[in-house]
Amino acid sequence: MINLENLTIQRGSRTIFSDFNSVIETGLVTIIKGENGSGKSTLLRALAGFTPLENGKIKLNKKSILLSTAEWSQKLIFIDTKNGLSTDLTIIENLKFWVGIKGWSTSEENLKKALKSVNIDKYANLFISQCSEGLKKRAALARLYYSFINKIDFWILDEPTNELDQPSRILFQQLISSFLKQKGTVIIASHDLNILEKKFNIIDLTLLNKRNIK
Amino acid sequence: MKTSHSSWTYIFIAHMKRDFLTNSRSLIDLISIIGFMLLIILLFPLGIGPDKEKLGIVSNAIIWIGLIIAILPSLEKILQKDYESGWLDQIATTDVPLEIVLLSKSISYWLIVLIPTILSSPLFAILLSMELKYLPWLILSMSIGGLGISLIGLNGSALILGAKRGNILLPILIIPLMIPILIFGVGINEAVKTGESPFGNLFLLMALTLIYLVISPFISALLVRIAIGR
Repeated sequence: MINLENLTIQRGSRTIFSDFNSVIETGLVTIIKGENGSGKSTLLRALAGFTPLENGKIKLNKKSILLSTAEWSQKLIFIDTKNGLSTDLTIIENLKFWVGIKGWSTSEENLKKALKSVNIDKYANLFISQCSEGLKKRAALARLYYSFINKIDFWILDEPTNELDQPSRILFQQLISSFLKQKGTVIIASHDLNILEKKFNIIDLTLLNKRNIK
Repeated sequence: MKTSHSSWTYIFIAHMKRDFLTNSRSLIDLISIIGFMLLIILLFPLGIGPDKEKLGIVSNAIIWIGLIIAILPSLEKILQKDYESGWLDQIATTDVPLEIVLLSKSISYWLIVLIPTILSSPLFAILLSMELKYLPWLILSMSIGGLGISLIGLNGSALILGAKRGNILLPILIIPLMIPILIFGVGINEAVKTGESPFGNLFLLMALTLIYLVISPFISALLVRIAIGR
């Protein structure tokens, strides 16, 4: 269980949250929803350990994640709207370097399987600069496959389905289902509550401090 | 499953490979820098006049200043692309210290951009009527000082991440830091010209570069953490 306790986050002079409390159940999908500017991405970045907290704590199993950022960062895959892809590299090169900096095996077999998991294996040698937004998003989501061969417990995803077509959404849902089976936790910021057909938790930032179950 | 490769050295090299690959695919940046430096250097004979003696006296300093001015626009790009693409966020979710990654970026920039530019200096030396016997000292001093410049550039690039008008701010912030490198770098060849030992200036330049090598990755990492936390 991840506890968000009395979170206060500021960006410049603007207070995004003040004394915000919530709970994220592990082993489930939690969707953070809210209007534009409500702080969904900021909350995700705080969860990933990027955005500093003015006040409060984020605790995983009663232990503050900010005190063990290196340990925490090894347990998660973070993908936001920027995707982290170099336009000067191909889809497979981008994936290979990402796997490399994680310190994992960059075997061709696994790279191909990862691309296959989001159905972009046939575009492996396409440069990111030549890709559509949907392909870029799938290239970023191909990283999720590595959760099944490495010790990853959390996915933190910002608007993962924005540019995806229907077949890609189904593939994404299948990846989530497989991850949940291995007791993974998925935290998504999205406007789109139709991402999943299954049950998921919602943290609604328009109704701060209230938690609903669909 | 972590591989046996998961050491900092392996990841350091992986980052350098990535930088080499991305830069090799945008060689236009390097060509632009060398072209810009050529233009700066060509302006001096036009301004001072074609007097070989006059040009010979100032040629060493002109090439150094030309190098510093020519690379300024490229310094902000050391981190900017990776910041805008979200790659720095991905690096932050690994267990490798950011300092190691940033050091690799600085060394890559030195090897990919500065060394080829410095190796073009025989052309600039000929244009400025510099005696070619001074060239080895010029190349040596610029290569050592170049590493210091790339480390200062890394700090500058980290400082302006996400800043509006950062490209205007950057030269104002980092040129003062490059002045000691310029003084000792130019001093090496000036000492050779007057028959003095160049080693005093050379060792000072090396010491300065070593200091930057130690502190620069830490300063840059701090600035990058602030930038990705915004």
